This record gives sequence, structure tokens and C-alpha cells, in this order.
Amino acid sequence: MRILVCVKRVPMTGGKMVLTADEQAIETKHLGFTISPHEECGVEEAVRLVEAHGGETVVLTLGPAEAEEQLRDCMATGADRGILLKTDGADWDAQSTASAIVDAVRTLQEDAAPFDLILFGNESADTGNYQVGIRVAHALGLPVVNGLKKIELQDGSVRCERDAGGARDVYVVPTPAVLSVLEGLNLPRYPSVPGRLRAKGKPLAVVEPARPAQKLEKLRLVVPPGQGKQAEILGRGPEAAAKVVELMQSLGVA
Amino acid sequence: MGLVVLLGVSGGLFARRALFLTRLVLAGKPVDRRGDVARRVRNEAVIVLGQRKLLQRLVPGLMHAFVFWGFLVLFPTIVMAMIAAVDRHQGIPWLSRQGWFAFLVDLFVLLVAVGVGYAVVNRVVVRPERFEGSHARDAYVILALIAGVVTTLLLWHASAIATGLAEWPRGDSFLANPISHVLPSSGVLERVLVWAHLCFVLGFLTYLPHSKHLHIATAAVNVWFARTRGRGRLEPLRFDVPDEELRFGAATIFDLTRKEVLDGLSCTECGRCQDACPAHATGKVLNPKLLIMGIRDQVLARDSGPILGNAVPEEMIWDCVTCGACVEACPVSIEHVDHIVDLRRSRVMVDSKFPAEAEPMLRDVERASNPWGKPQTERAAWAAELGVRVLEPGDPAPEVLYWVGCAASFDERAKRSAESTAKLLQKAGVDFAILGPRESCTGDPARRMGNEYVFQSFAEQNVATLNEQGVTKIVASCPHCFNTLANEYGDFGGNYEVVHHTELLAELVRDGKLEPKAGAKKITYHDSCYLARHNDVRMEPRELVAAVGQPVEMKRSGRQTFCCGAGGAHMWMEERGTPISEERAREAAATGAETLAVACPFCTVMLDDGVKGVGAELRVADVATLLAESLDA
Amino acid sequence: MSVLVFVEGDELSLQALTLARTLGEVKAVTLDGPYAPAAWAAAIVEASRGMDAIVAAGSDHGNELLAHVAARLDQPFAANVTAVDGDVVTRVRWGGSLIEQARLHGSPKILTVAPHTQPAAEAVPVERLVVPADADASVRVLETVSESGGGVSLRDAKVVVSGGRGVGSAEGFAIIEELAGLLGGAVGCSRVVTSAGWRPHADQVGQTGTKISADLYVACGISGATQHIAGAKGAKKILAINDDAEAPIFASADYAVVGDLHEIVPAISAELRRVRGQ
Repeated sequence: MRILVCVKRVPMTGGKMVLTADEQAIETKHLGFTISPHEECGVEEAVRLVEAHGGETVVLTLGPAEAEEQLRDCMATGADRGILLKTDGADWDAQSTASAIVDAVRTLQEDAAPFDLILFGNESADTGNYQVGIRVAHALGLPVVNGLKKIELQDGSVRCERDAGGARDVYVVPTPAVLSVLEGLNLPRYPSVPGRLRAKGKPLAVVEPARPAQKLEKLRLVVPPGQGKQAEILGRGPEAAAKVVELMQSLGVA
Repeated sequence: MGLVVLLGVSGGLFARRALFLTRLVLAGKPVDRRGDVARRVRNEAVIVLGQRKLLQRLVPGLMHAFVFWGFLVLFPTIVMAMIAAVDRHQGIPWLSRQGWFAFLVDLFVLLVAVGVGYAVVNRVVVRPERFEGSHARDAYVILALIAGVVTTLLLWHASAIATGLAEWPRGDSFLANPISHVLPSSGVLERVLVWAHLCFVLGFLTYLPHSKHLHIATAAVNVWFARTRGRGRLEPLRFDVPDEELRFGAATIFDLTRKEVLDGLSCTECGRCQDACPAHATGKVLNPKLLIMGIRDQVLARDSGPILGNAVPEEMIWDCVTCGACVEACPVSIEHVDHIVDLRRSRVMVDSKFPAEAEPMLRDVERASNPWGKPQTERAAWAAELGVRVLEPGDPAPEVLYWVGCAASFDERAKRSAESTAKLLQKAGVDFAILGPRESCTGDPARRMGNEYVFQSFAEQNVATLNEQGVTKIVASCPHCFNTLANEYGDFGGNYEVVHHTELLAELVRDGKLEPKAGAKKITYHDSCYLARHNDVRMEPRELVAAVGQPVEMKRSGRQTFCCGAGGAHMWMEERGTPISEERAREAAATGAETLAVACPFCTVMLDDGVKGVGAELRVADVATLLAESLDA
Repeated sequence: MSVLVFVEGDELSLQALTLARTLGEVKAVTLDGPYAPAAWAAAIVEASRGMDAIVAAGSDHGNELLAHVAARLDQPFAANVTAVDGDVVTRVRWGGSLIEQARLHGSPKILTVAPHTQPAAEAVPVERLVVPADADASVRVLETVSESGGGVSLRDAKVVVSGGRGVGSAEGFAIIEELAGLLGGAVGCSRVVTSAGWRPHADQVGQTGTKISADLYVACGISGATQHIAGAKGAKKILAINDDAEAPIFASADYAVVGDLHEIVPAISAELRRVRGQ
């Protein structure tokens, strides 16, 4: 089987947001990078399915040249090939991201079998647009299910579970399908060193799509004023317990 | 004729086994332990001949020394016996007529007998805990054989005197002589005894390489090849290997290094390592003696299966805090920590199987450049208010670079030592700077955890930063950073003069640039393993403590210090059972001191928790903080 | 402007209604029956003919449905918006830790409203839509299975007591569970805790875990990474307990206690018992 997983390189921001002077991006000097936890689970799920059923996992990202690092990390945990849709690092809105991915998928499916599954994280960690997977599914005419915590492959279809208030909603859709997953789907493995070394030699194709005009056009970023709020100090150490309980009573929870 | 046969058989059996064992050792991966010949010779003199490590426990050590020195002194008598077996009238030219030699022989026969007697009493009556798990039968057989050797030697000499064959002045044989008076003057008896003696000796020779007594051949070799300096250094691995060779660390006996195999063959099962181990002392599964014995047994059995879960229970390797107390205690220079880290390396790097709670730390070190996953942009936050200079690329190098370390940069309790150190250096007018956000984790926690790959990427990165910046001298407040910078970065092109902050501060006090005021508070100083044991820095922190208070020592101090429990990446791992830090906190509290002085951010945090855990009234503070306070007072 | 608002009978929908009203005249719609996103989106698209804006709550269903709507209409969609001014929307990134101002080129304007950024509006009459006959309902909820394990659901709990790296171990959570139990609340945790294997992922509060809406969130030994705050900010009040006075969590908390949680949390439990006369 063939599975495509789409991931996005995002900075590890820690406790505070600091913007560049032009307010267009987060200041990423000295920050590490990763992919969203949803996507890590997606890659792990794909690798497990291919381990069980044979085939290949392809991992794809739209991002700057440095995003190769994230693709190699995914290959270290078992993805077989990587595709980098290279940008100059500027934001691409959800529509243009989806259309670049759709073009890439069509190319990848030209001379080879179509993907049985295309996996996305439910939303990206940074922009949180919640729509790329759905747009890709529409363009390719595939069914799409979101927010998944469990995936079970069946013959020609996939049974998926999604949280719904204390219970789980169950969907069964025919494959090929687009699925977007949530952290908690599985426990991603820690990459082995042989895995990392082999990943260095796995194939990575680079394409440079043209960036279309942005229909959700970012004007500027702002750090919300809430940060730097001054919490009211109720006390230090266990002596503060009395004041804490008073607070709880006043909030009606004690 | 009979002698030739006897020699041939026993010699042949011995040689065959020796060849087998030698091949086992040579089949291991090579390790570079050349160089530093002067110190190796010194180790042979002090540790082997001088029995220094054994004498740590005075009485058992002395008893063993008697037997060992006895073996050396009595060796010529074996040759004499062989010569006499052929021709009863012959001996070793000149030596066989020396009265002083005769005296020495009888003296050491007596001392060996005392040693053996004590050993038996120790095993049967005293039964120290360190012998638990050791093979008692092997020990008794060896003791019996030694007793047999010296008894038959003495009786033969007595009988030789009785039959008038002995060449040396009988008056010097203060034991054999009196005995000769009660022996019949029988030539037959003399023959029987000399052959009995030779049978014991050659029988021993044949038995030797099948027992732990093998150590008499291997120990001196093992001591020669032990690390001489930078004992906190681990061997690096190469990762640029072809696909077929993608094995890292030790999964099976075929992955062990030559030194590791030799370690196993040198083990006498004495259990001193077991007694010294803080994990063992607090009820964990780890037992360094059983670990080495297990590996040795699997090597001898040529069992090609995995070592973990087989010879060594998996839990053992995760209990270790890499404190090196076992290595320090071992009289034959076994390096247990290398075995444990090599076993960890295979588990972490190849199998990806290790305690789950360490995974966030490994991921954070790799992606965020520090084990707490905090943003590097915050690394110099503690320094901002103090006006400490942060080096930018292209800046001229300072006289000394202050390597702060992740703990002191991010941990609340550890930050104080960085603040104190910076203030003291400023006060003394030292030209220093920090790297700030460009200082990444040295990689120590990843390396001790077994993730050599991540460690090396940080080593290369940090060395590049330091070399580009033209740094030549570094002061570190964390002994783990200190150990890695001083002993391990050299393998990656980083060669700097590295000092610990207590060394630099002590020098400043001696030079009069800092003038602490004497204090009345009783202070007990806790030696950090990575400082005192792995790197021999013991004096300077004590100078500082003595300058600001009234020092009182704990029993387990200096080279024999007892760990705080954070090493071996245990700062990030769960500890089952009694915490090692509480064990140490109790020891500190028992000195009656008011302050527990430390010189390491990990020790600061662990012992603070330990003190709270046992409810002791002790203030835990870094030596730098105590010094800074004494200057302000 | 005419605004079509998809509602689901929950508080978030009422909040969405508030923002929608500022845009123009609202018409509220809903659908019944098993949730089928693509089919429901088809119905919404039908109903939105001639309207200037389509709005829903930034909930699981809201974001999903309007993404389908936007894909069908091939128009841009802005999720989790907090304000609209002409064609400039203000929306959240990073689960709320960063704000983006963007120009929404497109018609109709499709957007969802960021949870807990608007007061709830008065309810209005709702029209029930019918899924068009030719709509593809292949993707729909077929059944609902209950989760094993009782206890208070994290998402709905009125009080959440949560532990982070500072708790130190799985066993350390006993004091967290104790306090949560006394308050009739749920136990939560940060991502470090689930990665370390001390608590299951279901307990994780955060951008990629559960986003809570409790009256009080007690964060013990949690440093306050933005991803964690993203899950916690739905709480009305946040009390942070941490021994590091400079931990980022204090910048997002309403109340603070500085010190060792291993002493403070049991002390709070003890005080609660005392005032209850136990």
C-alpha cells in the first residue's frame, strides 16, 4: 500500500512569543524546530501500517529548504521517501498550500499506484487553519474524516474513531481516503541510529511551486496583550493553602 | 622423567586454556589505551605491588597482601622444588644457600597461612554482604590449594633439613627447623613431600585458568590498560560505517571491547564494587559485581544471545548513576561504567528501548539544545541584570569563558550558583564572558544515557562555536560540563584549558583578589562524583569551605564520596525505592553541620530534595554562594 | 450584510452568534441526524446562496463544516476569528498565543469564531436544513461507542487539577488526584507527562490535547509552554503553583502560589478537609 503523510516545519516556541521587527513572523533565532505532535502520530501510523501490509510511506512538506531536516526525521522513523515543496519561507495560506499539495499528489500518482491513504495533522501547530486536508480531499474527489484517534484498515475501507464528548464516533469510509489525525492516535517511536543513518540516503525530491496570490493574506502578527499579565500572588509555600481555599470558595468550586 | 610428564600435562592444559582466553580477549573490539606509560608503570607499582586499593579495607587488604607478596617471594621455591625433584642435591645456585632467603620463605609461609586462615574465618564466620552472589565453592577450593601449597612447601623444607639435604643455614628457617626435629630423617618422606608440593603447585596451575584465581595472570594486565587520566571520559563511537556494520554499543558478547572481556576475566568476585555502589546501597537491582560476573560467564560460555535479559537483568543498567565508585573500589581496575554505558548504547540507539521518562529529555536536548526543552533565547536571562558580557560572533575571546551549563541557566535552585560565580568573578576583576543562547547542552546527559549519536552532534557543534570564538580557557560550574569539556571534547577537536569554578575561585582567594571572612558555621562539603572521583578536584573546594566556615567531613568523602543520585541521566529518570539523595542527606545531617556545601548544580537540586525528604535542618548551598555571602557580610 | 450562522445548540454557537450579529442580519441554521460533514456542508452551501457571510463556532464540527463549505465554494476560510473589520479579520494562531491580522479576499466571507472570545448571545429561532438528495453522505457517523473508564470528563469538568514535569513521577500524581477528587474535578497533565509515560494522553491539556473550559484550572509544576496554555486558556480562572517565580505560566495565570507543589497541594487538600469539618 502507499501512504502519503503531509507535515509542516514549526518552531519550538517555549513560553513566550517574540516577533521579528517587521511583525511578519516569529523570531526563530536560537529556536529548535519540529513537526506538530498530530503529524508525528500520523507518520508513526503510516509506518506501522506499511510495516504490517507492505508498501511505502511518502512524507511531504511545503516549506523552506531547512524543512529537509523534518523530512529526514520522518524518514528516520521509517518513512521511505520525502518530497520537499520548497518555498522561500514565507507563509502560504491554506488554499495555496492545498493546491500545491494536490499538484504534487497528481504527479506522484502519475506513474504509480494511487495513495491508499493521505494523512494530515488535524491542524498545524502554528497557523491552525483546520482546512488543508479537507481542501486536498475535495480537489482529489476523496472522502475525508477529521480528528481521528484510531484507524483500522479493513478490506477496501478504513474504520476510524473520533472523540465526541466522553464517547467515540465511528466512521467507515472507502479507500483511497484522506484522514486527519490527532495526537493520542499512537505513541510515536524514538528513531534508532541505524534509522537516522539510513534516512540520510533515502530519496528526497525537491520541487519549487510558484506561490499564488494569497486569498487569506497575512497583514501582520501581534502578541496578545494577555502575555505579561501579573498573576495575583496568594502566598508562598503551604501557608498559602488557606487563601487558596478562600479563592475556591469564592469561585464556587470548593 | 616424571617431572617432564607432570609439567607437560599441566603446562599443556594451562596453555590450552590460556590460549582460549587470550583469543576471547583479542576477539573484542580494540580500544586505544596506549600512551601515558609513566603513569601506567606507577599504577602497576602502587595498585598491584603496593595493593593500594585492597588496603582501603585495612585488615582484609593486609591479609590479601600477605598472600600476594607471599606468592611473589615464594615463587623461586617452586623452581627449587622442580630442580630438587630431578636431583635432590641441587637447588638454585647462590639463592638456595642464602639464610635471609630461608628466613623470608618461612616468614611468608606463616603470613600466607595467616592470610588464608583469616579468609576462611571471614567467609565462614563474618560473612560480609559483599560476598553474596560470589561463588563460594571456587573460593574454598583456591584457599585449600594455597594452604596445600605452603603446607607441603614447609613440610618439604623441614624434611629436607631433617635428611640433611637443605643447603641454607637451618638456623634461619625459624619454622622449618623446629618441625624438622619431629620429622623422621626419611629420604622417602622427603621425596613424597617434594612431589606432593609439585602436585599441588601444578594442579593449581591447571585449575587456575578455570577459576576466578585467573586474576593472578590478568589483573596486572588489566591494571596496565585501565584509564590513567580523564577517568570520566567514555570511548567515542564511529557512525560513518557501512550498512552491514550498523551495530552500536554492546548487545551480545561479540560487541564487547577487549578491555571489557579482560575485565570479566580479572574479576575476583570480591564485592568491593557492590559495597560502594549507591544504587545497590539503596535497594536497587543493580549490583556491579554480578553485572561483571554475568558478562564474564556469558563470554566464557560463548553464548551468542543478547546479554540483557540473559546474563544481566535489564533493570540493572538503568539503575546506574555512573558515579564510578565501583571503578574506584576495584582492586583489579575493572571499569564497570563502560560496560553499563555500552549496554545502554545498544538499547537506546539501536532498539530504541529505554525508560519512557527519559524520552522527553532526549528529544528536548536534540531539538531545543537543552534537556529541559526551554527556549535557548532565555539561557542568559539570569545574567542580564548582572551585566555579564554575552559573546557575539566575531567578538574577541575573553581571557576565560564561563560555561554556565543548562542546569544553572534554567533551574531555579541552580541559578544561584551562576549568579554568585559571576558576581565573584566580576569582583575579582576577571575578564570573562558567557556564550548565552549559543551555549548548547554539552551533551553529557545524552551520552550517559547511551545516545552517543546525539552527544556527538552537540560535541561537534560546541567545539565549532568555541574554536570559531578563539576560546582557550574555560571555567565551568557544573562538574558534568567540566568533565565533558576537559576530557571528552578533545576527541572532537576541542582542546581547552578547563577549570572548575572552585579551582578558579580558590586561586583568586590565594592571590588575594577575593577576601572571604572566616565564619563560625559548621559546613560539611559533599564531593561531586564527576569532580572528586573522575577528575581529582578535591582540595580547592575544601580551601574555600575552610575560608568561610568550620569544615567537618563526612565519612564517605574525597575519592570515596557517595553520589547525590543525579548522574547517568538520573536527573531525568525515576528512582524506585529509597532515593540515593536521601541516603546521602542522612549522612550529611549526621555530621551535625548546619550547611551542606556542594559544587555542582545537580548535587544542589538532588541534595536539597534529599534534605527535605529526610526532614533535616540543613542548608544546601554552592561553595560559590557561600563565598559570595562571606564577602558581602 | 446577510450572515448565515450554523449553530449546534451549545454555548460556543451562542458565542459565534454574537460576532455574527456585528456583521449584519443573521439567519441561524442547523441540521439533525448523524453528523455527515460533506453532506451537511452541501446543505449549508445551498442555504447560503446570495448571502454575504457564513459563520460558525470554532469547534470541531464548526471548523470542519466550514472548511468543507469553503472547499466546495473554492473560497478562502478564516478559522478562529476574534474580530472582523471590513475585510480584515483578526484570528488566532498557536492556539491563542499569537494573533494574526489578515485580509480575507473572498465572497461570501467564511469564518469560524474563536471559542471563549465572545459573550454568549440570546438564542434565536433556528431553521432546520435538509441534506440535499444528491449530497454525498458516505462520510458520516455510523455509531457511537462509549469510552471505557468513568470519572469526570476533562473537557466538561468544572475544575481541573493538572500536573507537569514538577510532579516528578507517576506516583507523584497521587496528591494531584487527591485534590481533584476533593473538588469533584478531573486530573489533567502537560505533554511532558504523557511523553514520560506517567499519565495517558487522554489526560493531556494542551494545543494537541484537550482544550478545557473549566471554572478553575490549577496548574501544578507546569512551566507554561504556549502549547499548554493553548489548552488551558478556556478556563475562566487559572491558579498556577510553581517553585520558579519566573515560570512563563505566571504570565498567563490569574493567581499564583510560589513554592514546592509537593508541600502546597497536600496543604490545600488538608485545608479543604478542615473547612468541611472532616
